[in-house]
Amino acid sequence: MTLLTVKNLTVEFPTPDGLVHAVHDTSFSVSAGETLAIVGESGSGKTVTNLALMGLIPKRTANITGSAIFESDNGPVDLLSIDRNELRKYRGKDIAMIFQDPMSALHPFYTIGDQIIEAHQVHNQVDTKISKARTIELLEMVGIQGAATRLKSYPHQFSGGMRQRVMIAMALVNNPSLLIADEPTTALDVTVQAQILKLLSDLQKEFKMAMILITHDMGVVAGTADRVNVMYAGRIVESANVKDLYANPLMPYTQGLLASVPRMDRPHTNRLSAIPGQPPSMIALPSGCSFNPRCGRKNEVGASKCETQMPELTSRGSEHFSRCFIGEGA
Amino acid sequence: MAKVKKSTGIAIAAVLALAVVAGGLIQMSSGGSSKGGTITYLTHSESWTHADPNRNYTGQHLAWFSSYMHRTLTSYARAEGAAGSDVVADLATDTGRSSNGNKTWEFTLRDGVSFEDGSAITCEDVKYGVSRTFATDVITDGPTYAIGMLDIPSAEDGSSVYKGPYTTKDNDTAAYDKAVTCSADNKTITFNLKRAVGDFNYTTTYLSFSPVPKAQDKGDAYDLAPVSSGPYKIEKYKSKDEMVLVRNTNWDKKSDPIRNAFPDRIVVRFGLAEEVRDQLILNDSEKNSMSLDSVLPTNLPTVFDDAGNPKGDFATRAINVYDPYVTYSAVNVKKLPCLDIRKAIYYARDYAGLEQLSGGAAFGGDPADGVIKPLMGLDYAKVTGLDEFKREGNPEAAKKYMDAAKTACPDVYAKATDPKRGIYFDFADTDTNKKQAAIWIDSMKKNAGITMKFNFIEAGSYYAVVLDQTKQGDLSRAGWAPDWANASTVIPELFTEAGGFPMSQNWGDPAYKAFKEKSDAALAEPDRKKQGKMWAELNQYVMDQMWVIPGVFSKTQEIWGSGLGGVFFWEPQGAPSFGDIFIK
Amino acid sequence: MFAYISRRLAVSFFILLAASFAVYVIFAFLPFDPAALTCGKNCNDPGIIEANRRRLGYDLPFFTQYFLFLKGLFFGRTFGEGAALINCPAPSLGYSFQQHACVTNLIGEALPVTFSLAIGAIVMWLALGIGLGILAARFRGRIVDRLSTIFVLIGTSLPTFLTGLLLLVFVVIRWGLIPFPSGNYTSFFENPFEWAQILFLPWLTLAFAYAALYTRFVRSSVIDTSNEDYIRTARAKGLSEGVILGKHTLRAALAPIATMAGLDFAGLLGGAILTESVFNLPGLGRLAISAVTKYDLPIIVATTLLAAFIVVMMNLIVDILYAYIDPRVRVA
Repeated sequence: MTLLTVKNLTVEFPTPDGLVHAVHDTSFSVSAGETLAIVGESGSGKTVTNLALMGLIPKRTANITGSAIFESDNGPVDLLSIDRNELRKYRGKDIAMIFQDPMSALHPFYTIGDQIIEAHQVHNQVDTKISKARTIELLEMVGIQGAATRLKSYPHQFSGGMRQRVMIAMALVNNPSLLIADEPTTALDVTVQAQILKLLSDLQKEFKMAMILITHDMGVVAGTADRVNVMYAGRIVESANVKDLYANPLMPYTQGLLASVPRMDRPHTNRLSAIPGQPPSMIALPSGCSFNPRCGRKNEVGASKCETQMPELTSRGSEHFSRCFIGEGA
Repeated sequence: MAKVKKSTGIAIAAVLALAVVAGGLIQMSSGGSSKGGTITYLTHSESWTHADPNRNYTGQHLAWFSSYMHRTLTSYARAEGAAGSDVVADLATDTGRSSNGNKTWEFTLRDGVSFEDGSAITCEDVKYGVSRTFATDVITDGPTYAIGMLDIPSAEDGSSVYKGPYTTKDNDTAAYDKAVTCSADNKTITFNLKRAVGDFNYTTTYLSFSPVPKAQDKGDAYDLAPVSSGPYKIEKYKSKDEMVLVRNTNWDKKSDPIRNAFPDRIVVRFGLAEEVRDQLILNDSEKNSMSLDSVLPTNLPTVFDDAGNPKGDFATRAINVYDPYVTYSAVNVKKLPCLDIRKAIYYARDYAGLEQLSGGAAFGGDPADGVIKPLMGLDYAKVTGLDEFKREGNPEAAKKYMDAAKTACPDVYAKATDPKRGIYFDFADTDTNKKQAAIWIDSMKKNAGITMKFNFIEAGSYYAVVLDQTKQGDLSRAGWAPDWANASTVIPELFTEAGGFPMSQNWGDPAYKAFKEKSDAALAEPDRKKQGKMWAELNQYVMDQMWVIPGVFSKTQEIWGSGLGGVFFWEPQGAPSFGDIFIK
Repeated sequence: MFAYISRRLAVSFFILLAASFAVYVIFAFLPFDPAALTCGKNCNDPGIIEANRRRLGYDLPFFTQYFLFLKGLFFGRTFGEGAALINCPAPSLGYSFQQHACVTNLIGEALPVTFSLAIGAIVMWLALGIGLGILAARFRGRIVDRLSTIFVLIGTSLPTFLTGLLLLVFVVIRWGLIPFPSGNYTSFFENPFEWAQILFLPWLTLAFAYAALYTRFVRSSVIDTSNEDYIRTARAKGLSEGVILGKHTLRAALAPIATMAGLDFAGLLGGAILTESVFNLPGLGRLAISAVTKYDLPIIVATTLLAAFIVVMMNLIVDILYAYIDPRVRVA
């Protein structure tokens, strides 16, 4: 069952320097229980896409068009067109979010108990005691020892990994059907990263929820995701299920991303390679394919086609799409 | 701090004419006066400088407190112009009887005089009041005539062997009891003086000769709660807040022929911002009130025209008159023993520039030709020999005297013209004075080639510093008013070594000996007319020697609300006639 | 917490001791003679000056004078003798011969005035400054924000004595909208209505200047805080904008205001000299400034010490308050 269907999402920010094209005509969908990874460098539009879905971008600051149909318990709703006040009822209840930096994402002046209870109370007209019990339950579930006493602790009294667990507990307190995890492990130590990812997948199964995992780390994607959207300069440039993508990356950018990940299953012959050049300015995108200035394979497409024409996202097999002239129509 | 705020001196014939010139002939107190109501006085000051009669020493304070609260043995007549300078009996039955060649003075108290608690005022109360003057550590700031005049010996350090009523240690109380005695009926007080004082009954107009009930004396704290002997007593007195006087029901008009006691209540509002104080009166929003302070220079044009006359409805509620003060720059003759240089300074000065800074002649006053003001009548004569004076300075005259100085006193000349040494001038450290200093420096350099430098001294301790003869510079700014209508309180005070304000340090001058002899003769002269002529001649002598660079015969401005009547300028105190003011 | 406060109090005591000593040293070496000043403006009689120096104890060695001052603080002090004897009970800060009163009493009278002025002003300016600052931040770039910018500009550039004078001359004297106060100060406990009536314009004057500063500060603090990640978290939870602003944003945005307000309040308690002068309020500022112009040493020492005491105490209070607001600085 498709839980979320995003169609033609475009987000633009007017600035004094010009229009920032953060997300351009992006469509994708998420099915119940599956994990969709959105991968890309910083500024590729992956975070903006999800903030737009959650209605967390102030309307006055951006032009948002397109639709995002979410199958809620009360039937389908278009997250992009319903009233913001209306959207608030889904936020934190049906769709929850966790963020990159657990250091700053929790309010420093309130105890973690207060903050989680508040998240529960806002969507449930129940006695505080019930919210508190639920909070303790969740905290124990995410692996916090002595949850009943730790309730009264403030965020600064926790380590980074523990704080992210608190964030996860807070996100799951209302049993959401979709969890958006925006770089949930980037700010954490490597050893802790694995624990958090493991926790996330375990909980995902237990809660039977879908997850959108936003990351720039292909290594994270491999172990967690079912499907992957690769974003570059505001556009999806490749979309496939995770096995296909790793086995057969089509877009040179995706190939570059994969080449920059150390892999146990390959001999140590090649040095890790980085993609040369810088991500483009989102105000003045290059003409043609946005990736062409950094692309090592554009010579394979003749007559400077890559500099003048933008390739479309086209199907390259079962559930595999790519935005590249190479191999197009093959 | 331009002036020494001593009490005042007076005018005779000149006063009326001057008052007319100044535009301020005011209503007479007689006729149309009425009783009742509350008169409010407004002031920027946080409190009276002193309310203790023994510590009152400024003309305004003396006028105010003598009008409402404190009686003394004798008083000035409550009258406009020259008549105000007459001494009349107050607590005493007459203006005093002298004997022993003016070395013994006797006053008898009236019947029926009492303090606010109803107890009779006796000779002992007056004697006790006078004794407080000797407690100089407690009863500060008051006139010390009693110490200087009463026949009490001095100790080795020069201070009196009598130290006032508060201490017993090394205190020769017997010496005081000998100098001041009371008759058996406790009604007649006798003062034995160390020298002849012909006008001692002027001295007794000072409130330091007021009675003080010993039982209620609290030393320094008496300043906050002095006991009344006059028509009003204190209901409330709080610094930075207000003073409220109400009628003293134990005051008997029959025993007091000179006080009117028109209003029922008198209120003094302390600590008002200067602009607020002026605006309340200018706007006439407090009709029954009067300002106790000078009008802010910026508000003068609202009240007066360019000639200094009150305009519009201010004609009946403002005056611009000569006050008793003369300003001058005392020459430290010890440091500037060269007449030609002193004259060069006088002629080189840009008087016009300084005048403009002080608001112009209409408000500041006229150029002085000595230390005696025309208001002094008998004692004043126009000083001659100053014909070369020009308002904007006279470079020719200045250069002439500088040339003469070159040969007559080369040392002083060298010092005055040396850019590294120069002549040092003592000034109180205020903004206005700094601007004045700039004019002095400029005109001295330009007109006489003199280098002038300034010692700016913190205003509050200015006189304490310059009166220290070792610390005084070459020139020092000062101001003086006579203590009563006799230049005996000017010439000897300023120019003899034993005087109270000897900033000219002129006793080393070869001309001093003859001057001192004539001054002593004038003090002893019993004929007032002859004495006046002698003071005028001595004033001329001072100017011939240029012991001071004369400044301004200064003026003062007063404003009040439209509800008040009976205001006139009480010449002897240099202040409004508070006791005659009533609510219309 | 108790140990922490005790420790802070002990340190404060030594700071005050050092401050009192410093003030004493400064005045001991100023180039004026307190004995000469007792003699009156025209006094040049060395006999009188010397006699007064002995009688008033100015001839004693510096440390003896300082010790007598400290002793007076704990045991009281007497001055003079006979009928002129003055007794200032502990804590005695000396006797002012210019004001004819024990300095402790003078301070006791002036402090409530200044406190009344400060407390009313701070309530007004916090209400105005925080309110306007929040509105300006919430409606950033819109008309409310523009108006607040104008307010800030005027408020920060007009000196308080001018604001006060304009209010007095126009509102009271020229237009007569408020009657000219019949007294300079009335105690709250005596007549609260008159108390407020007299203090209303002074409050307004001070509040005007401070509110401008606070508006600017609150506006930028609220805007900065709105951009914090934890506000995004709050929004992601589904909280309403009202709860987000009122509970999450303001708690963090206003925390630094507590420090600022505490120290500004301490500064005002030391005496709002200009406002007190314009409105003729007999507070600490007036007491201090007139003492300085008259070289009234005991009052200068006392007011300086009091100001130091207030600042030290207010710092302590602010630190405790801040710890209450922000758990991160809480001491174990």
